Amino acid sequence: MKTRLLVVSLLALPVLASCAESGPPPRAEESGHGGQVWNEMEGEKLQALGAAGDAARGAITFEVCEGCHRNGGAGRVNGSYPRLAGQHAPVLIKQITDIRAGRRTNHKMVPFSGADVIGAQDIADIAAYLAAQPVTPDNGRGPGDDIERGGQLYARDCATCHGEFGKGAAARFYPRLSGQHYLYLLREARAIRNGERGNSNPEMVQAIKAYSDADLEAVSDFVSRLPPG
Amino acid sequence: MSAARRGEAWFGRRDRRVRGASWFMAVPLACAAPALAAPDPVETLATTVCQACHMSDGNSVVPQFPKLAGQQATYLEKQLADFLEGRRRNEVMEPFLSQVKARDIKELAAYYAAQVPGPGVVLDPELAEAGRRIYEDGNEGAGVPGCEACHQLQGEGNVRYPRLAGQHQAYTIQEMLDFRSGQRANDKGGLMRRISERLTDEEIRAVAEYIAGL
Repeated sequence: MKTRLLVVSLLALPVLASCAESGPPPRAEESGHGGQVWNEMEGEKLQALGAAGDAARGAITFEVCEGCHRNGGAGRVNGSYPRLAGQHAPVLIKQITDIRAGRRTNHKMVPFSGADVIGAQDIADIAAYLAAQPVTPDNGRGPGDDIERGGQLYARDCATCHGEFGKGAAARFYPRLSGQHYLYLLREARAIRNGERGNSNPEMVQAIKAYSDADLEAVSDFVSRLPPG
Repeated sequence: MSAARRGEAWFGRRDRRVRGASWFMAVPLACAAPALAAPDPVETLATTVCQACHMSDGNSVVPQFPKLAGQQATYLEKQLADFLEGRRRNEVMEPFLSQVKARDIKELAAYYAAQVPGPGVVLDPELAEAGRRIYEDGNEGAGVPGCEACHQLQGEGNVRYPRLAGQHQAYTIQEMLDFRSGQRANDKGGLMRRISERLTDEEIRAVAEYIAGL
């Protein structure tokens, strides 16, 4: 009996450790939509995060999404639609539920993320499928004329959260940036700086609010050249 | 052995004898059956009722009436059920629907799904080329997804989405306009209604032209 208890507690240790490591998500006032708490854990998001995502089912549900996001969520080089392949499942769940709840502004996506199109389980399935897709090195890159300065900005302001290689942090809902299309990175960075995205992390807004357009281009260019995967 | 077990065994033997007897009697009936067999009632429905517009082989020749040959059975089943239950309405279809019963749906759908689709005709190749771009890539600015994601690159559809390949231009255009106006509202999650709202009339004409040639 004692042995069994010991085994159970040993098995539980890594789980507890990873919970402690991730900690609660940061809570703060969001800049874009007044009074909103960033990444508040409410009903539907919690449901999707708690559901066991089934990647095989997600591949089928994602069929409709491929009309824009392309096969396997590769996105488009012209930045009109982001690459979703290899993105962390919690990040995808947060973004979809934020768009559908009106926290993130994205009118193109709204009709496709409605509750009558996909339920919480579908969102979990899609996220599981996309997270398992490979990040390929064929993403759109920037012009390459200011990468050094982009790298300095990245190291100073971005790497703390998004990681040295732009891999993000699933447990903290920080997106993977590596392998993303340059023009999408630039578009969203501008929207975040201008307070137009709606659901931005206040720390993120703070980090780039003094950036000029040239700064955003330089850092996005650098990020688009981070090794994918 | 208990009485109950013996009873089971006895009934078992009796059952076999009874079954043996019914086999014996069924033989002459079965032999006579082919000579007496009437045509399948659902096939008759297709070849006498549906035939008026959709043709027996499902390759309608009137541009307003959809081709059904080779259509996905799941789609046909859903549309027939929607017509019968009032979720999809069409005044031309309505008088004929009184002759279709819910129990016929599966077989009727299977009948048309099994027909061989004939080729469609492109009337305006330039317009079709504009339609190809929408069909494959959508319209990024307006947020129109490429049709091929669901309806497949060659328009054959799959178990979840209907076949479009070779469809009459006029029918495709009419359905897109009906989705846009909300006159037709039996699409999953309102997806086709949302997509049709984002397409211009010219884009609808173009994509219908391309679909006709698939």
